[in-house]
Amino acid sequence: MTTTPGPTPEPEEPARSSRRRWSRGRNRLHRRVAGALAIGLGLMATAGLYTAVTADVNQAHAQAADAALLQRGQELYNSNACISCHGSNLQGVEGRGPSLIGVGDAAVYFQVSSGRMPLARQEAQAMRKPTLPIFDPDTEEGQANLDALGAYVQANGGGPTRPEASGEALRGDDPARGGELFRLNCSSCHNFTGRGGALSSGKYAPHLDPASETQIYTAMLTGPQNMPKFSDRQLTPEEKEDIIAYVKSVSGSSNSVGGYDAGGIGPTAEGIIAFIFGLSAMVGIAIWLGAKA
Amino acid sequence: MSTTRSAGHGGTHGDPGEPPHPTETPHPPQVSEADLESMSQEQLARLAANLDDVEVVHNANPWPIPGTRAEKRAERAVTLWFLISTICGLAFLAAFLFWPHEYHPPGDPGYGVYALYTPLVGGLLGLAVLTLGVAVIQYVKKFFPDEVSIQQRHDGPSDEVARRTVIAQIVQAGDDTGFARRKMILGSAGLATGVFGLGLGIAAVAPLVRNPWKGGSDAALWHSGWRSINGETVYLRYDTGDPEEIVLVRPEDQEPGSMMTVFPFRNSERGNEEALLEGVRRADNPTMLIRLRPGTVFLPAPGHEGLNYGDYIAYSKICTHLGCPASLYESQTNRILCPCHQSQFLAAEHARPVFGPAARPLPQLPITVNDEGYFVATGDFDGPVGPAFWEMGKI
Repeated sequence: MTTTPGPTPEPEEPARSSRRRWSRGRNRLHRRVAGALAIGLGLMATAGLYTAVTADVNQAHAQAADAALLQRGQELYNSNACISCHGSNLQGVEGRGPSLIGVGDAAVYFQVSSGRMPLARQEAQAMRKPTLPIFDPDTEEGQANLDALGAYVQANGGGPTRPEASGEALRGDDPARGGELFRLNCSSCHNFTGRGGALSSGKYAPHLDPASETQIYTAMLTGPQNMPKFSDRQLTPEEKEDIIAYVKSVSGSSNSVGGYDAGGIGPTAEGIIAFIFGLSAMVGIAIWLGAKA
Repeated sequence: MSTTRSAGHGGTHGDPGEPPHPTETPHPPQVSEADLESMSQEQLARLAANLDDVEVVHNANPWPIPGTRAEKRAERAVTLWFLISTICGLAFLAAFLFWPHEYHPPGDPGYGVYALYTPLVGGLLGLAVLTLGVAVIQYVKKFFPDEVSIQQRHDGPSDEVARRTVIAQIVQAGDDTGFARRKMILGSAGLATGVFGLGLGIAAVAPLVRNPWKGGSDAALWHSGWRSINGETVYLRYDTGDPEEIVLVRPEDQEPGSMMTVFPFRNSERGNEEALLEGVRRADNPTMLIRLRPGTVFLPAPGHEGLNYGDYIAYSKICTHLGCPASLYESQTNRILCPCHQSQFLAAEHARPVFGPAARPLPQLPITVNDEGYFVATGDFDGPVGPAFWEMGKI
């Protein structure tokens, strides 16, 4: 304790001789209190100095970058027809588009990177289209533009944000549990291998094959179109990642262990194929054998 | 190849020179004991055919001169097919037992090998069966003698003598054993076999008979797994796929415009594997906990007010038409769709049916939040769950 260096003077030094006559215990206590005080003061001074030197600089950087990003985001918002349906203050336009206040960066990423926004026309539901080239998530420029647009919407009312990881890093390591959760929460609309399905009045749950990991994640988080939202308290980020791992493990050609997935919709298609082709082959062989005999 | 042709006998088609058969019984050639002893195997086989009125007209050995090169070649070809089948069968066994069959997700290093498991096992077994069939057909085509035989066909019933004697034999047997006279034994035998048969019949049918109304007003059809037993709190739980992992539901778990499937849970079920599994598997338990979006006004059914907790409403997931899981929830239109027959229910209006064949609203579960902050059910559903009860109409 006594070896602790500190800016505070040692208060017991001058009084030591007079206090010796008092009990040794009291003296030790005194010294300990003083030592603790010294450490505390020293730490606080250091921390204060550190913040004084560094914090302002960081803040200034962040503010400058933010301002530029928001500026860029607003330009993109105004110049890419977002403004015509969602309004100049993101408040929405009656009969055209909903308010974007509070939808968050995750919703922007999902809608724009999947090409659903900008909308081609007003219809039952926005459908997946080729992404606008300036928002293509596969290019660096597109990524930057998506970030800027997302930051602009995020700055107006907050909302859910994109996960930090992307691509394969967003796939959990337990696709089996993901499958269980998928069947409990998602399969009623999206089919048990993510083939999609019909909803009411021309709406539909889309096929999940073309969706990227980040798009599946942000869809769960924001509930685009008529999809319910799955907050992080309802499906934890780990559970969402397991669901993504499951979707990716059954999408495309990943689910065709026998060589052909027959549409991936289960026993109906497989049964019809077995009936038509299998039975025809059997009958053909029987006829051939009969003709040879 | 052996071909057996039947020739009609008697009637107009018979040989005009031959009188019609007086009886249809064939007349076997008389063979003495000594003849039998001296006959070769071939002669005996021919005799067997003759006894059945079969005449072998033509029988040519495909290899009249034994040991030719062509015969050896044919023999080798058949053996080769059998050997191929053996190898495929062995390969199938080896693949079935030793090929890595554990699941690997796509992208894993083991995926390529795993993905080959099903085609390999199926393909090898198929090849084994196919080559076995080819071998057998090859053998028959190459080595079976080319044979044509004619069997006489006998028209009409058996002759009078045969019919009368057989019947007399049966009746005589009944008389000799006393069955016909001893009525008491006959009756008791009939009784015993009848009761035995009845017992078998009842044992087969009884398990199929069930009274769903057993228990009167406490019958299983009148309540679901949400009923409170002895006043114990029934919590809403979420199913993570593992019944032992109990996740209770709080209002802050759900965003507006979201839906969660919940199941009943009681604290006394903790650690009871069977009860926990029944909680998440019982057919009338699945319930949709829906949080409406802000600005949506909830309209309760007349006489069923106060079952919701603010913007949280809980409905049975079981369609009132034919019992499919009606859980396609559209968060913007607040419609609940049933995928089987396209019934649609309005979540904001006590789930009344607005489209499709369903006639009753989905039953609503009364919920509230207890002092620990968890959702609890304050009672059972406000109507019968699932299909049937069609006579009830709308509530």
